[in-house]
Amino acid sequence: MSEGSCQLVLFQVGARVFASRATDVRRIAGDFPDGVETALGETVLGRPWDARRGLVVGLDGGEQTILVDGVLGVRVVPDADIQSLPRFASDILATNALKGFAVLEEMPTLLVDLPTLVREGPRSRGTPREENPPHA
Amino acid sequence: MPERNLSSRTRERAPRSPDRDAAAIASVLRSHAEGDYKKRVDVKALRDPTLAKVAQGINAAAHKAQERGDEVAARMEAVRLGLDEAINAMVRLVVQGDLSGSMRLEASDATLIPLIAGVGQVMETLKRFVREIREAALQLSSSSAEVLAAATQNENSTSQQATAVHETTSTMEELKGASHQIAENAQMVASIAEQTLAATRQGEGAIRAFTESMEKVRRNAVEVDEAIVKLSRRVERIGTVVEVIDEIADRSDLLALNAALEGAKAGEAGRGFSIVAAEMRRLAENVMESTREIKNLIGEIRESTHAAKEASDGNKRMAAEGERLGGAAMASVSGILSGAQGTSDAARLIHLATQQQRSATEQVVQSMGEIDEVTRQAQAGSRQATGAAAELARLAERLAGMVQRFKVE
Repeated sequence: MSEGSCQLVLFQVGARVFASRATDVRRIAGDFPDGVETALGETVLGRPWDARRGLVVGLDGGEQTILVDGVLGVRVVPDADIQSLPRFASDILATNALKGFAVLEEMPTLLVDLPTLVREGPRSRGTPREENPPHA
Repeated sequence: MPERNLSSRTRERAPRSPDRDAAAIASVLRSHAEGDYKKRVDVKALRDPTLAKVAQGINAAAHKAQERGDEVAARMEAVRLGLDEAINAMVRLVVQGDLSGSMRLEASDATLIPLIAGVGQVMETLKRFVREIREAALQLSSSSAEVLAAATQNENSTSQQATAVHETTSTMEELKGASHQIAENAQMVASIAEQTLAATRQGEGAIRAFTESMEKVRRNAVEVDEAIVKLSRRVERIGTVVEVIDEIADRSDLLALNAALEGAKAGEAGRGFSIVAAEMRRLAENVMESTREIKNLIGEIRESTHAAKEASDGNKRMAAEGERLGGAAMASVSGILSGAQGTSDAARLIHLATQQQRSATEQVVQSMGEIDEVTRQAQAGSRQATGAAAELARLAERLAGMVQRFKVE
């Protein structure tokens, strides 16, 4: 990895593509021997269609799996292409898991903080947004 | 008186002498010879006594002859009257026909008795004849009337018979035409029945071939169905294999993703590892893309197989239905064939019967023609007989009328 870049894991929930830092993903799961019920299904990212993959996140000495529809791969993205969310955007969003976006092939892709997403847990529709301090 | 006149004339013309006396006697004799017995010789005028005696004898003889003549004349007159009465009776008989009265002929002369008796016998005979003729005429009239009535009735009957025979002949002529037409129609029916029988046999063969074809179709459908089942099983097997391949590819993709993730975490040291992982992932994706295409193909094959299975099931059902219908059609055609055979046999018999009927009708027509001719002749004969009977009746009436003119009672 060269200086001034980062590794992003691109994954898909429904029809939308998201990105997360590779360091936040402990591994990628393909089968779920404990059942889908133990994994995190619907989140603020949406409800996966077929949940064929899982992003395993290390948290508090344990692991938590976030179900996604697919993992598109690992991309090296220059830091310059990583941008924070505008203030007004972060204020109106109902989650703190979205930290910014990465410009991939001239298309902005939301950058998801997986540990925060796991902490927020599953989300049912209409859940009010928690008051979180603005993040960098 | 003449005697006196002669004597006076003799005395006046010539003198008495023997010659003269003889002449006077001769003259009287000549008169007597001529049938005039009224002349007498004037005996007193005779001078010759001998001649006077002769003259007396002549006068006596003349007197006697005259008496005889008068008697004969009287008898002749009686006979004449009897004859006239008989003739008048005969004339009455002939003219008036009146035989009722008895002839009162008086037999003034014994010689007329046989004649009168004969005329009476003739009259009686005529009466008897007239009675018999009248009775015969009456019987003849009655019989002729009966004969006329019978002849008229016979003529009427013969006429009616002739009319009936003529009508019967006309009817038989029509019947002959109808029989001819019926015979032709029967022949046509027999021909059609034969054709129907042949067509039915062909139909039976066609249905048998159809049933065999249906059986082959059903067997083929069963074979196709079995092949489709095998194909379906193999496709399912392929699907299972593809699922395994897809699972392996998915796991390879997962491994490649984790390898790439580890390579990314390893930094620069994991760069080569990441490249290999990316290549592995590309291969896995290619495999999964291929398996998706295979799955799509399998899906299409499944749909096609399902459609083929349904079509095969339909074919089996239709073939079974075709076999069933073929069997029913065969049963129906067998019945039709039996009926057609019976119809053909019956039509043939009808044809023969109608031919015989036509021949018989033609014979009857011929016989009726002969009967018609005979009846016409009989009618003509009957008409002649009626005419003859009428003529006979007229003659009988005429005879009766003629006989009626004779009164016998």
